[in-house]
Amino acid sequence: MIKEAEQPNLPSGKEYWKSLDSLAETPGFKEWVSREFPEGASMLEGVERRSFVKLMAASFGLAGLGMTGCRRPEHVILPYGKSPEELIPGVPAFYATSHPTGRGFQPLIVESHQGRPTKVEGNPSYLPYGGSTDVYSQASVLDLYDPDRAQGSFERQTLKSGVNRWKKVSTDSVLASVFDEAGKGKVAILANRSHSLLRESLKKKLASSGILWFEHDAIDYFSAENKLGKSLGSAKALRAVPNLSSAKRVLSLDNDFLGNRESNELSNSRAFMAGRKVLKPSDAKRMNRLYVAEADLSRTGGVADHRLRVESSQMIGFASLVASELLSKLGNPDQSLRMHLKNIRSFTDSQKEWASEAVADLIGNPKNSVILAGSHLPAEVQLIAYEMNRLLGAIGSTINYIEIEPSAENIRSLASKISDGSVERLVILGGNPVYQSKGFIDWENLSQKLKFVVRLGASIDESSQIADFHLGQSHYLESWDLGKTWDQSSIVPVQPLIAPLFDTISEASLLSHLAGEKKDDHSLTEDLYSQYSNGANFKDFLRLGVWTTKPVSVSSLDATQALLSIKPGKVKAPKLTEDNLEVVIIPDFHAHDGQYANNGWMQECPDPISKLTWDNALLISPVLAKILESKHAGLGLLPKPTMLNKNGQVAPDVAQFDGGKQKAPVVTVKVGKKSITAPLYVQPGLADFTLVATLGHGRSNVGRVGQGTGYDATPLLSDESLVLTGVTLAPTGNFEILANVQEHWSMEGRAIVREANADEYASDPGFASHMGAESHSPPMWGKDQGKSLQDKATTTPRGNSAYEHPDHTYEKSDVFGLHQWGMTIDLNQCTGCSACVVACQSENNIPVVGKDQVLRGREMHWIRLDRYFSSSPRDGADIPSDVQVSFQGVACMHCETAPCESVCPVNATVHDEEGLNAMAYNRCVGTRYCANNCPYKVRRFNFFDWNKRKTDELYQGPLGSTNDNLVDMSKNPDVTVRMRGVMEKCTYCTQRIQESKIRTKVKAQRSAKLSTGEDGSSLKLGHSDLKVPDGTIKTACQQVCPTEAIVFGDVSDPLSEVSKLKSNPRDYSVLGYLNTRPRTTFLAKVRNPNNRMPDFAGSPHSSREYHDKAHPSHHGDLDSAH
Amino acid sequence: MRNIFPRWSNTVPVKVIVSLGMLGGAVVAGVTYYATPKYTRVGYQPTQPVSYNHAFHAGELGIDCRYCHHGVEESSHANVPGANVCMSCHLNVKADSPLLEPVRLSYFGEDSDKDGKLSEEEDLNGDGILNAGPSIPWVRVHKAPDYVYFNHAVHVNRGISCVECHGRVDQMVEVHHDKHLSMAFCLDCHRNPEKALRPLNEVTNLSWEAKGDDEVDPLIAQVHAGLELKENWGVHPPLSCTGCHR
Repeated sequence: MIKEAEQPNLPSGKEYWKSLDSLAETPGFKEWVSREFPEGASMLEGVERRSFVKLMAASFGLAGLGMTGCRRPEHVILPYGKSPEELIPGVPAFYATSHPTGRGFQPLIVESHQGRPTKVEGNPSYLPYGGSTDVYSQASVLDLYDPDRAQGSFERQTLKSGVNRWKKVSTDSVLASVFDEAGKGKVAILANRSHSLLRESLKKKLASSGILWFEHDAIDYFSAENKLGKSLGSAKALRAVPNLSSAKRVLSLDNDFLGNRESNELSNSRAFMAGRKVLKPSDAKRMNRLYVAEADLSRTGGVADHRLRVESSQMIGFASLVASELLSKLGNPDQSLRMHLKNIRSFTDSQKEWASEAVADLIGNPKNSVILAGSHLPAEVQLIAYEMNRLLGAIGSTINYIEIEPSAENIRSLASKISDGSVERLVILGGNPVYQSKGFIDWENLSQKLKFVVRLGASIDESSQIADFHLGQSHYLESWDLGKTWDQSSIVPVQPLIAPLFDTISEASLLSHLAGEKKDDHSLTEDLYSQYSNGANFKDFLRLGVWTTKPVSVSSLDATQALLSIKPGKVKAPKLTEDNLEVVIIPDFHAHDGQYANNGWMQECPDPISKLTWDNALLISPVLAKILESKHAGLGLLPKPTMLNKNGQVAPDVAQFDGGKQKAPVVTVKVGKKSITAPLYVQPGLADFTLVATLGHGRSNVGRVGQGTGYDATPLLSDESLVLTGVTLAPTGNFEILANVQEHWSMEGRAIVREANADEYASDPGFASHMGAESHSPPMWGKDQGKSLQDKATTTPRGNSAYEHPDHTYEKSDVFGLHQWGMTIDLNQCTGCSACVVACQSENNIPVVGKDQVLRGREMHWIRLDRYFSSSPRDGADIPSDVQVSFQGVACMHCETAPCESVCPVNATVHDEEGLNAMAYNRCVGTRYCANNCPYKVRRFNFFDWNKRKTDELYQGPLGSTNDNLVDMSKNPDVTVRMRGVMEKCTYCTQRIQESKIRTKVKAQRSAKLSTGEDGSSLKLGHSDLKVPDGTIKTACQQVCPTEAIVFGDVSDPLSEVSKLKSNPRDYSVLGYLNTRPRTTFLAKVRNPNNRMPDFAGSPHSSREYHDKAHPSHHGDLDSAH
Repeated sequence: MRNIFPRWSNTVPVKVIVSLGMLGGAVVAGVTYYATPKYTRVGYQPTQPVSYNHAFHAGELGIDCRYCHHGVEESSHANVPGANVCMSCHLNVKADSPLLEPVRLSYFGEDSDKDGKLSEEEDLNGDGILNAGPSIPWVRVHKAPDYVYFNHAVHVNRGISCVECHGRVDQMVEVHHDKHLSMAFCLDCHRNPEKALRPLNEVTNLSWEAKGDDEVDPLIAQVHAGLELKENWGVHPPLSCTGCHR
């Protein structure tokens, strides 16, 4: 124990590390660690002290002139002429609607303040999502108030220079000409894919009038379903819908079912992570187990218990290996199929061992195991997965294959129809097909052949450039629709919360116009609903927001013949080498397929794995990085080996740095004749010869937010596959700086995230309290050590200190806290989806700061999601390829003895009687002492008037132009919009707490008045009447969380959910030894590895790394250092 | 040797001192007037677009506050009534008074013949909906700063009368700012709520006073009654920042 103190910072190369730079201990990184705010963060840009003083003198002079400004300006109050019924100004209204996405309609409840939608929540009536939403739905409300959206309809005018100018015209006039043109025939519609029933019904009407329909999406969830249905001889397409609530063992073949690469993220996360809840040691035995074989390091891979890196193009070989192992272990008599699969399979010895043990485990849990194949994989892999699921008895239990309508003809057949002249008029509905298909369709040529093109789109983008007219599309919060959730189990409405802000039109109205019936979307929706409803009331449907239907599932289709017809020579991909790489094209976390490219919340929300903001990068594996480094001297991709020597000395000749930020070398990626240039970023966990490119960035026609972010990967796209082989790389010699937040606020080398294996947890449930410095230097409770959590929370004993803490018990204080708020975050439940980050941003009016400011470390998110990597023991120099991932959401911990409070010179941050660490903005003078003294680094400073000034004119101060005030409509009126110069941080959503307390008090008082029949003055209201019932208050991050990882409530109530979790032995405080006594505590993570697997380790890597560091004496090789 | 300084310079020091004194006095007076919480527009009485008489309606006629300020028990805002509330009486009472022109304009809107229906000539913007007219631009009298989240519902429902912050509106012909509504004003009451608590039935009765024995000072009677209510209802107004600042 004492020895540890002697060797506090022994660099062993086996530390808990967070980024490549922290591993490398580069000078830039060390500087980051040693400073609270990065260099330049507190310096004036381009203004010398002298001129600053001059300016200040001038502004003092001007202040005198402005004395009249001290008078409060005259306000007017504008009431309604005729008040709408049931509307009380100041009380928000909530409406059920849904967010139509390519991944199904997401059922929502949207909060509206006087007709102004501000916050999106999930609709709890849709049980598979349980009231949660994904990050994109959270951010979608900002698109409504995007100043760069198409604010009406426009006619294209091409100048002589070839530049397009857009002249505003009325939507009605465009509709008239669309109708005229449609009458001339040879009309086609090109749309993005949708789950809308309204579109489906209108499509039929349009087909009868001879209008052709084509669909395209870059991220294609549908074609795998089409192909699976086809190869199994079904007339319909088949969709694999996992039912993970009963799954004990899951094998994912490149399937990111917990992430944004697949469709059913929310319901999968909810069901799967529920099977990983361990509240007592006996639960450890019931925990489910996840095997992942994948090329990219996805969030699903981050959750995995066992993870194998397999290139996506080799997945068919690996899937066949798994299938043949399965067949032989099951003793399947069908020799021909086994032999056939053996011809297809390709593997290494270690892969075979991995697959064999994984399969044995799957078989050991019949009907409770499932195999999921990624939707980007070829049809043959889907087929193999189907057959394996059938053999495992999974179909009907852990997975359902449901029939869906096959999708329409694709964009290539549209192109050929345009070239042969059978389509002359084109309507482009939504999406951005021109941008997404420019890699394989020559639009420049095709558009010459088209006589009339009209585009319906949310903004004027790449696809509008070939259109004669651009029709502004109404946001989903401005239009009516009816659609299905992805699993086809529910019909949900899209209900507008606001009349269209601009002269825009909804998709359904346009289609109805084309069909000649010219109905509005409201009556269309109501009519269509009546066909499904059996007479049930439309208004009731809108109130609930969900109507349950039953999908048709199949079970008995036999895949043997289809499998036997796979030709091994055709499907087998050649082995990958450094000269024959593969690139996997995936949707970007920020922009998805490009549709969120102009959404500031999405751009600034860090990618959960790479932690990049405002950018995408071409991810490469450490192995490939090393090869590249040796081939191209001075590439600057990796830290030099000398930097990682055991003495911790840092060599000066490091990779390229600029202001502490690593420059990313830009390379040219070539696939056949196509090529792109992109910055490289080394990502541990990638398959060796896989490159990962993301879509949606680098767009040419996009609003102000999306301009100049990232690189464009669309030129590589083909309509065949998102996995391309035969890729080569060549450095260009250029560098780019990426806005990566991973190096900020590192908490290196300490027991921050605590983990154990399920077996360890079962035998030692309190493992978390045996880790970290507090295991031998606990918080100073003194004589009150043994008191209950509730006692400690209400009396806040000072231990043996001479100073007494104010006693907030009812007996001792007139100002007492009826509640004591606290939070737990279950690290075992977090999948890193980051929805909490954006939900918090939306709820609490958190500004967007832009890439330049993120590079200076000034991002404003109140909750951040830390991502740590850990690995098996390794030699200093190498970046490991196989890593375990741990996520940890960190927001203000609301410490009972908060270090920030004692250093504030103006008492702007103080404690309230209910345990909240309050922040009074109007008192704050911006010394930033509190941020310096916060050990968790969760305080954020308003360096600029982010809300008021344009992001690119921040440095001009009051001389710069102000922001477009359309965005102001998205602000939550219950939360102060902070100005320049004040500190802010998580408040535990104090506005929600206060509202709930007020509602409880009002309700109690009213019922007292009613029950006495008089004025109620004699009636006694006890604490139980005035206390907010447990579960009433949900913080924004808690409400959005699909896995219920975050629980908030009253700690002083021993029966509250949060109290129960806090008394769980897995509960621990981060940096608890500082005696900060945080009210937010974490539940340690439990992994569930299989001890027969080749990559089994007795404890999680992070836990071993901690013990190696905390007890170096146990390590032979370090003894000499003592 | 001639004097270096001219004769007039003899008085300069005195003049400088006097001027500095006056300047200092002005600064002190200015700060006292403008920069302390006491300067909070007490007495502010703007001219309203409609000369609505509170003393007549609320005082003489005895219309309850909540008839017009209907949101006060539900919402953080008390709500200024829409023109339809005025017109529920004034459709019949003083229906042609020129003083009520802005109210009628707001209420009838496009319905120029006032028959409650929208004819084709009346539908000026062609949207088929009977649109109300322009809102009556009432001038705001009481305003808490933007960072203060005052909630009417919890005060009114817990026995704090309108009169505590707004004064005897039932005696004001035109409403003026009566109390200074500074943070100290709020805290005074939050620290000693017994001085203001009253039975729920009397919340909108602005002239109510606590009754004790005849000899007892009404103030003491109020404190006695208030303490009882405070104890019964468990009234503990928040005193920390989070109570009002979010």
